[in-house]
Amino acid sequence: MAAIDSVRAQTRQESLFLLVPGVLVLLIAFLFPVGTILITSVVDWTEDGVFVLTTSHFEKFFVDDYYLKVAWRTLRLALVITLATAIFGVPLAYIMQRAHPTLRFIILLMVILPLMTSVVIRTFGWLVVLGNGGLLATLVAPLGFTGRSAVLMHTEAGIVIAMVQVLLPFMVLTVLGVLQGIGRELEEAGRTMGAGFWQVLRVIVLPLAVPGIVSGSLIVFALSLSSFITPSLVGGVRLPVMAGSIYQSIGGSFDWPFAAAQSVLLLAATLLLIIPYARLVRTSQ
Amino acid sequence: MLNRRHFLRNTTLAVSALAAPSILRAQNNKLVINSFGGAYEEIHRRLVITPFEEMTGIKVEVVTAYSADTLSQLRAQQEAPQFDVAHFSGGLETTAALEGLLSPIEPSELRNHDQMYEFAVSGISKGVGPTYSTAVIGLLYETNQINPIPTSWNDLLREGIGEHVLVTDAASNTYGLLSLLMMNHSLGGTMDDLTPGFEFVSKLLENGAVVVSKSPEIQQNFAQGSSWMAAYAQDYAYTLTKAGLPVRFVQPQEGAAFAPITVNLVANRPNREMALKFIDLSIRAEASEGWAEALRYSPTNRTVTLSGEVAEQVVYGEEAARNLVGFDPVVISDKRADWNEEWKRLLVR
Repeated sequence: MAAIDSVRAQTRQESLFLLVPGVLVLLIAFLFPVGTILITSVVDWTEDGVFVLTTSHFEKFFVDDYYLKVAWRTLRLALVITLATAIFGVPLAYIMQRAHPTLRFIILLMVILPLMTSVVIRTFGWLVVLGNGGLLATLVAPLGFTGRSAVLMHTEAGIVIAMVQVLLPFMVLTVLGVLQGIGRELEEAGRTMGAGFWQVLRVIVLPLAVPGIVSGSLIVFALSLSSFITPSLVGGVRLPVMAGSIYQSIGGSFDWPFAAAQSVLLLAATLLLIIPYARLVRTSQ
Repeated sequence: MLNRRHFLRNTTLAVSALAAPSILRAQNNKLVINSFGGAYEEIHRRLVITPFEEMTGIKVEVVTAYSADTLSQLRAQQEAPQFDVAHFSGGLETTAALEGLLSPIEPSELRNHDQMYEFAVSGISKGVGPTYSTAVIGLLYETNQINPIPTSWNDLLREGIGEHVLVTDAASNTYGLLSLLMMNHSLGGTMDDLTPGFEFVSKLLENGAVVVSKSPEIQQNFAQGSSWMAAYAQDYAYTLTKAGLPVRFVQPQEGAAFAPITVNLVANRPNREMALKFIDLSIRAEASEGWAEALRYSPTNRTVTLSGEVAEQVVYGEEAARNLVGFDPVVISDKRADWNEEWKRLLVR
């Protein structure tokens, strides 16, 4: 008995040891910087070099309709992007799951390949398509849309289109994973009992796919809340989002405490939406 | 801010104390300077650095560092400076001079002093080194679409070109800020009151002007044919011309803003004589001329002779130089954060 106990204790120590690298990385690369940001957001330096606690950086955000506007745009865009990604991603994942393996592989390749390219490059692709004299403008010109009306650069619609393309793989892959766990015989049983195609989708497939759709949406939502490159390149300076505003506070106005406060608010907003959402899924399961 | 700087300085002091022996040894046979890297540094070598080495037999060590970087290094090394000569663009030399990081120069210490335009050497007794060439912010226009040639900042409001005007973000781009200050100046505004400038930009936006924040976006917009007029820098107009675009620069009648590029004497270094020689060589006519020919920076030495295309594409001659407007970089750095807030509100949709 004693021998077994000591082996058990040893195993436990060994697995603890395996945790060390991960915990270290988390500590250095996540907890430390996030902690620094948290502290920066609530302190002020006085003339004599002492720092005092303050809420002034947060007040600046809330008393100002400019920053509230930026926050609202960020939230609104993230919701629209998540919804659009689900509308495009879920059917695509379903088709992939049902398709012949060769076709599935080809679609999978098409979905994953963009992930191998940097977001900057993909976004520049959109600049060419959406910009002045771009592909879109050329296509709609015969229909009578010319000038500004044919250009989606520097519009929220442009941001949504580019972001959906950038984030679609995250939705498709997550939903596909869940769909593959649903037995084909469930659908077949439904069909033999007289349900039509849409009814099977609505009553059997969609409810079972909910956990996948939810986790896909969470990933997409969190990524679009904090996205910086695509909104700033496609949207431009006149449509600022939170990440761009934080960047501006650091690099343009050299106001690090205010940048930190905005970061904390962005993090809080993400958690506030994600935690109840995740709870909901767990209870529904 | 002050405290963080003290902390930095003290840390660097400790570090540089450790490295001190090698520094002392190196002082007498080399000159340490910064330059801005890339094509700029190559031309810098050809125009100034190599001629200096050949003339004096002293080796020049070039550290590639932009202005902001150079300033923070000078601050950190205050007790034991490592640079003999520091080059700045964008106004940071005034900050450095105020902090005592740069050494004043007497006019008699520079052989070429009397050849310089007044504005280029006006700060040397306070530590702001001579402006050896300058970027100029005026109007860029598309030669096929814009006729007649613009002559005034007000031409940005010209009928029918509203959607084809480019405005550069003043909150993130120094040339954009200088454009805003220049528009403001042309309408009688001062650094204490930017209202005329903001109102002007607001009219441009109402007319449909496009706002960009980075230089490549300017090139992209001119290349796609969607932009016909923009407020920006002369040297960038030349970049567009070299790229084959029909774009020209013009200095409006109300004046154009200049963004000086300066060569400064670092304080508390033992190589003063040699460093002054380097600065003197930097401001001689051949160098100023070379910058104009290679990159279309405007000369600040009165005796420079330019001809043909180059003369047309830079601000050249006494009269044109008189029409250059300078903005106090200290006031800019004091007020920039407030201006940024107002600017962002003006832009946001």
